[in-house]
Amino acid sequence: MVAALCAVVGCTAPRVADPMRPAEEQEQDPWQGFNRKIFWFNDKVDVYVLEPVATGWDKVLPDPVQHSISHFFENLRFPVILINDLLQLKPGASGIDVVRFGVNTSIGVLGFMDPATSFGLEKHDEDFGQTLGKWGVPPGPYLVLPIFGPSNVRDTVGRGADYALAVTPWFVDQIYLIPAQVIDTVNTRSLFLDEMRNARESSLDFYVFVRNAYAQRRVALIADQKPEEAAPNQEELYYPRGLEPVP
Amino acid sequence: MTRGLISLAFALSLGLVATARADSTPRAVVESVTGQALEVLGNKTLSADDKRSRIEQIVYSNVDFETLSRLVLGPNWARLSDGQKTEFVAQFKRHLSMTYGRNVETYGDEKVIITGEREEPRGDRTVRTKILHQGDDILVDYRLREKDGRWQIIDFVIEHVSLVANYRSQFQDMLSHGTADELLKSLHEKNERGEPLKAPKA
Repeated sequence: MVAALCAVVGCTAPRVADPMRPAEEQEQDPWQGFNRKIFWFNDKVDVYVLEPVATGWDKVLPDPVQHSISHFFENLRFPVILINDLLQLKPGASGIDVVRFGVNTSIGVLGFMDPATSFGLEKHDEDFGQTLGKWGVPPGPYLVLPIFGPSNVRDTVGRGADYALAVTPWFVDQIYLIPAQVIDTVNTRSLFLDEMRNARESSLDFYVFVRNAYAQRRVALIADQKPEEAAPNQEELYYPRGLEPVP
Repeated sequence: MTRGLISLAFALSLGLVATARADSTPRAVVESVTGQALEVLGNKTLSADDKRSRIEQIVYSNVDFETLSRLVLGPNWARLSDGQKTEFVAQFKRHLSMTYGRNVETYGDEKVIITGEREEPRGDRTVRTKILHQGDDILVDYRLREKDGRWQIIDFVIEHVSLVANYRSQFQDMLSHGTADELLKSLHEKNERGEPLKAPKA
């Protein structure tokens, strides 16, 4: 599958160092016309449907309940995170995630609470797009997916793989899965009401804002950037070519 | 007992001296910026406008807008005339202070802890902080550069997303479709309206 993906995104030689390149270079957007249309559509769905519903949700539910629901769905991502830990050859993280799942499902009452984090078992955010990135698959062109939002060719493939890897659809009935998905989406959105409003208002071009933030974030996630480490290759960002520092 | 108290007092006063002397370090700058900002935000006797102008003052005196403007334009900076450069710095400064002043009423009960510091390859320093916000911590890194013996902020990196890199991308996109004058005009209009610009037609 990686080979097929390479045919699409055009990787030539193994390019393990690629995810380490600055986010700026990871932002190619040859399909901007199409992407902007989908982005516009998603934005309308958000403004007219998701945001109002999430605002209501936020008013009705106390913060701890919203956080519990978010923990519950996060806990269910365990199989996907574990498989991707393993595919990225991270035995340490895999072990922690197994213990996390055990602790949060039992002591944490089916995952509604997250005692594992307070025990010092930090959570990991992994998905198949990151796994591909880790193994040198470049992101390929930026791609805005209807409803799902910002992505790129690599991460779209990753999203499909993660869906297949998620164990839940195998034994949970579709009748429950769809409402669960809706609740997860609305609840997650309700935790970012201020942030989204800020981002919309502070950006000069919200489309480019999202595209760049997505690229920067994916680079950091793939590199598993520790807080104490600098983002890689930032020379050009802080010392632009042909510009002397302010005298 | 007495002896214990004396050494405690001694330790405390040493601590005070150390803080006073440390005023010029990157860490002290960030400590003072976040401390002052939280104080303003949490002050219930101030009106929203008062809060806004005080936050603006704090930001203005600790951020190096000249350098920040150069960095967000990157190589495009050289394409601007001197007049355009001055105009850009002024408008971008206003834009950022509006952005940061906009939410003065939604915040207030946060705490900020400094989690570490690192020296960047060419002498900049990054001070890492964490905002403790209703169970969801937010990582904010401040990058500082020394100019005229003073450390000033040149970038904010929020959850691994650098403000400089993000604006550079937006300005780059605008400049690849239009001129510097058009960019300045849109920035100015946005500042007047206080709302996002329309995306160029696809």
